Amino acid sequence: MKLMVEFDSDGVQYPNIAAAILRSGVMVNVERALIDGDEGWALLDVDDRDAGKFIAALTRKGVSIRIQKDAVSHNRTDCVDCGLCISICQKQVFSFDENWQLVVESDRCVLCGRCATYCPQRALSIQK
Amino acid sequence: MYKSIDEINERIRDGSVRVVSAEEMPDIVDELGVTGALREVDVVTTGTFGAMCSSGAFLNFGHPEIPIRMEKMWLNNVEAYAGVAAVDCYIGATQESTTRNAEYGGAHVIEDLISGKSVELHARAKGTDCYPRTSITNEFTIGELNQAIMVNPRNSYQSYNAAVNMSDRAIKTYMGYLLPSHRNITYSGAGCLSPLPNDPTLSVIGSGTPIFIGGANGVVVGEGTQSSPGSGFGTLMTSGNMKDMSPDFIRAATMTGYGVTMYVGVGIPIPLLNEEIVKHTAVRDEDLKTSIVDYGTPFRDRPVIREVTYAELKSGSVEIDGEEVRCSPLSSYKKAREVAAELKSRIENGSFTMALASRPIDSQKRNKPMAEKGYVYHVNEMMVSTFVTITGQESVKEAAKRLLKGETNHLPVIDAENRLIGIVTTYDVSKAFANDEQDMTVSEIMTKNVITIAPDAPVDFAARTLQQHNIGALVVIDASRHILGMLNSYDLGDLVGGRGRR
Repeated sequence: MKLMVEFDSDGVQYPNIAAAILRSGVMVNVERALIDGDEGWALLDVDDRDAGKFIAALTRKGVSIRIQKDAVSHNRTDCVDCGLCISICQKQVFSFDENWQLVVESDRCVLCGRCATYCPQRALSIQK
Repeated sequence: MYKSIDEINERIRDGSVRVVSAEEMPDIVDELGVTGALREVDVVTTGTFGAMCSSGAFLNFGHPEIPIRMEKMWLNNVEAYAGVAAVDCYIGATQESTTRNAEYGGAHVIEDLISGKSVELHARAKGTDCYPRTSITNEFTIGELNQAIMVNPRNSYQSYNAAVNMSDRAIKTYMGYLLPSHRNITYSGAGCLSPLPNDPTLSVIGSGTPIFIGGANGVVVGEGTQSSPGSGFGTLMTSGNMKDMSPDFIRAATMTGYGVTMYVGVGIPIPLLNEEIVKHTAVRDEDLKTSIVDYGTPFRDRPVIREVTYAELKSGSVEIDGEEVRCSPLSSYKKAREVAAELKSRIENGSFTMALASRPIDSQKRNKPMAEKGYVYHVNEMMVSTFVTITGQESVKEAAKRLLKGETNHLPVIDAENRLIGIVTTYDVSKAFANDEQDMTVSEIMTKNVITIAPDAPVDFAARTLQQHNIGALVVIDASRHILGMLNSYDLGDLVGGRGRR
């Protein structure tokens, strides 16, 4: 699953992610991050089975964690099921079902926003 | 065995007509044979739903109390062509709004009208004795128009090249966003369900052929612009009454970085009159070939990367250089099926009858490129062939000397084989000096990702590249990255100044 981790000014002072990995022994993949001296965020991918253990290890002062769900909002009325988003997205969020209707698997999304920018019908948006 | 249009129309009227979609036809012909299929099936419906930029509509507003001959006009701030006097216009799908750019355009005006929304008209005129008025601003809906006739100069391509980008920079095209280094492929068209692949010899489809367009019962006007059926790229000019259309089958769209376009649903019924026609409608995606071409080059004749069938494209992945590349359409196959199904139900319920074309379309015609009369300048004609270079091991101080001696702001960095590996500018060198880094080596401060250009590229493309990257010079290199010259932005100024004129 994907975890959206946000750090406040206290949270950025300490190597929270590294410490949580060492403490829990759980490997995570940092998919996107933006961290500076005052605050920051990181989108982490972690195996569903290890998520509880990792979240417990990461829970500290200055760190807020939420499970990233429904990252992509798909407007079915505007969408014409063209499928252009399918090959644009490198995380394979989009696919066709057997009737050529678009299927969106938001849990793979890393919030890059490219699908929303390039959707010809403007039928996709990213929840931040 | 033959069948006449009258026989088929008689069956449509008495409700006994047998209609199938073009997708079902190959299996039917396999099972019953060509003669059997001709006996069992009367009409094959086709459908496509995709971006068809070359579309638009004629509108007639009626005369106001003080008459005006509109000369310039805007609909929701999108300019429409008013040179068809006096209260008529042609609104083109790709025309962009003067206030909202590519987020709203002619296609959006058309979709808004079809959806019943009110649209603002603003027009200007010089005023004449017979048309005294000089301006008008008014709101209208499609119901208030005398006519709203969609006439699309180029619709329903027989097949279309699939797009890939072999360059190392992502590009924004009418084929969508193309990732660098062939990481995705996009394509358009419904393959074996598309109208023209089911009648490649244009033996049925011609001027006057009844069609489904945007939800209305419309007609083929004739040959489409740029039509090239002789090379497998036929197009059709189509028309239909916008008042009968639905936003289910007409959708405005924006290809980000390219502009406005319109998705149009077109379906053509093929009446099965003889065995030859039956054979054509038995086409499968496996039989329909197109080319994957490189949109990463700025030239008209884009390099063909490989041939591909619609069956491969529809599978979602195609091999290029031993790699599986993900591929997706920008036309909607689901909607294409809806078009074919809607057409089928109209024929079955008797509200859509068949007709023979009144004039045939030349099936051998091939499209010609533009024969440019003016001279097109290429990079090698404008570049400077004397330039100074430096190697990565030399010092920043040496780079400064070299820049001064060469009276230039750009210093390409080369390796032992004289190949381009980076660039340093006066800015980079000044920055190094300001930070007391003049003893560093050139390779430590250089920009490795150099923006380059080929000698045979047109200067227009060079100017666009300079602008896109906000830089002052391009390094001109050959295929093995050897430097041929430098193209400076100020050299391009000569084109405007006179040197470039003949």
